[in-house]
Amino acid sequence: MKDVFVVGDHIISPLGIGSQVNVEQITAGNTAIRRVDDQQLCAHPFFAALIDDSQWDGEIENTQRYTRLEKLFILSLQALIDQYRIPLDRRTLVLLSTTKGNVSLLHSPMGRTFPKERVHLAVMADEIQRYFGLENRIITISNACISGSLAISVARQLLQGNDYERALVVGGDEISKFIVSGFDAFQALADEPCRPFDRDRNGLNLGEAIAAMYLSKSPTDGAINVSGTSSYNDANHISGPSRTGEGLYQSIRAALIEAGEPTVDFISAHGTATPYNDEMEAIALQRCKLSDIPLHSLKGYYGHTLGASGLLETILGIHALKNNLLIPSIGFEHQGTTQRLNIIKKNTPQLLNTFLKTASGFGGCNIASVFKKI
Amino acid sequence: MDMHTYHIQSYCIIRERSIHMDGVTVLKTEALTTLNDFLKSAYRQLGIDYPKFYKMDALCKAVFIAVELMARKAGPIKPDTALIFSNYSSSHLSDEKHAMDLFSADNPMASPATFVYTLPNIAMGEISIRHKLHSENVFFIFDSYLPEFLVPYNDSVLDNQKTENIISGWAEVGEQGCDLFLYLIGKSGKTPHTVAYLKTLYHNEHE
Amino acid sequence: MSELTQELKAKIITQLNLEDINVDNLEDDTPLFGDGLGLDSIDALELIVMLDKSYGIKLSDPKEGRKVFETIQTMADFIEANRK
Repeated sequence: MKDVFVVGDHIISPLGIGSQVNVEQITAGNTAIRRVDDQQLCAHPFFAALIDDSQWDGEIENTQRYTRLEKLFILSLQALIDQYRIPLDRRTLVLLSTTKGNVSLLHSPMGRTFPKERVHLAVMADEIQRYFGLENRIITISNACISGSLAISVARQLLQGNDYERALVVGGDEISKFIVSGFDAFQALADEPCRPFDRDRNGLNLGEAIAAMYLSKSPTDGAINVSGTSSYNDANHISGPSRTGEGLYQSIRAALIEAGEPTVDFISAHGTATPYNDEMEAIALQRCKLSDIPLHSLKGYYGHTLGASGLLETILGIHALKNNLLIPSIGFEHQGTTQRLNIIKKNTPQLLNTFLKTASGFGGCNIASVFKKI
Repeated sequence: MDMHTYHIQSYCIIRERSIHMDGVTVLKTEALTTLNDFLKSAYRQLGIDYPKFYKMDALCKAVFIAVELMARKAGPIKPDTALIFSNYSSSHLSDEKHAMDLFSADNPMASPATFVYTLPNIAMGEISIRHKLHSENVFFIFDSYLPEFLVPYNDSVLDNQKTENIISGWAEVGEQGCDLFLYLIGKSGKTPHTVAYLKTLYHNEHE
Repeated sequence: MSELTQELKAKIITQLNLEDINVDNLEDDTPLFGDGLGLDSIDALELIVMLDKSYGIKLSDPKEGRKVFETIQTMADFIEANRK
């Protein structure tokens, strides 16, 4: 099977624009999570990591033509294309991962400035495709909270065929009243900055980010091999994670087997900090005999960035690999899962070759991916 | 001699107020019936006891019925059958409902039971639970049914030998109504899994 | 009191889409979860919203919910004791 490599990446987050600045921010221990008091989003104050529009607004041609989220997607893709001089020809595929896209337009005053079709993900993708004049249709994936990781896996699958040489995978979601109210009704929001895997964790924080990845069949210096990906459904419940971690367990096993059973140097977990998710992950990892592997969740820095999260956290994991530096999980103090985990507590320089990324989402979906230095 | 490796083993079309299995109409009601009532009558006709059906949104209900019918026709769905779906409207009907809950004038309040259906892949979760499928799920969003993408993609997934079967197709349930075309792909069968055949099946629902 | 239990039954059946159940075959002491009505975690969240929306009662501790939502009767008792 043909190898597919990550050869470039870009991040827009509340911590800054560009992957490098994001790596610096999190290794300095900075979090993007703030107390948000905004009636437009939620009737009561909550904690979230939101992109400040003054950071970037107005950097696009015909800016009024695009929604906020479209502009962010365009900016991130453009930065990636410029930085790596990516040809936008028939051999280049763009994949877009999002859970809710332009849903903030639904029944909101903002919605009136755009045609009502604009809430549809396919219409949003078409706008972005036209902006760049792409030859290939954008492939949009909407698969709950595993969308970002799944888009990498699908891109790899497509590149392993003969039709395409390279792929740009971009993921993102914007935090709107639509999303906040839903997670709030699910009683999933923490009333403090989230604490992945901690004994006292009480929910997640929502976050905004756009993360873009450049995948190619031709490795460059420092390229990272996507050496195994696998996804399994729990077949258990549409919103609650499996008590046995079955789907995640199967995903991790299959991804590691595909990658040739490498030694895993660290794990970038989903770690949303909801009681059930983190417990489920700990059980799945224990079943895979991976409980001792250093592990972090990056949700303490960015919150749960939904359609971006798999991509964002994979990109940061790749930088950790390249920098040979284990990045700590913030918000963690006491073991809080029935199966003990080896949570990374401080920046730790260490020779790193391989990491495992996991994600799980509503609908019972799970995914595991293995990334290796070449 | 047939040189195609993969075949359509069974397919279901739900369009307007009628259901067709492998080209044969199995249910048809008058056009005035609401989509929800139509899907409920289809469920009752199946004669199964699965009360969770009533809690599902229309997208999940339609997908549930299609897969139930395919399982009756082609035999139990194998647990490693991958689900690779696509549509245009994502979960738009539930999105609308959730937004209405939030922006309604009196006492706006989100309903968890509505919110959970504001993701298209929940439909795949529902049938995974029903048929005990531990497998890969992918939900693509396109402008229209796109066999030119799905056929080579599904072929490549099957070539990887992680699974021998896929249920794939178009599961569109939105403001324009229901346009569902799902099919079970596997090694054996009479209809080759090709773009041309799928286009013919998709456009000709009548026997 | 029985007026409230009747009202609750009707509300629960509509709100939770329990189409095979009707007010007359739902007893005051039928367990709502587990072997009784077989409600799940999403239904529990939906009941919390219902308490808030219809009776102005906010329930934020899920552990409290487990006791309150045991049966129609326990729900009615709780509403009687807490509604404004």
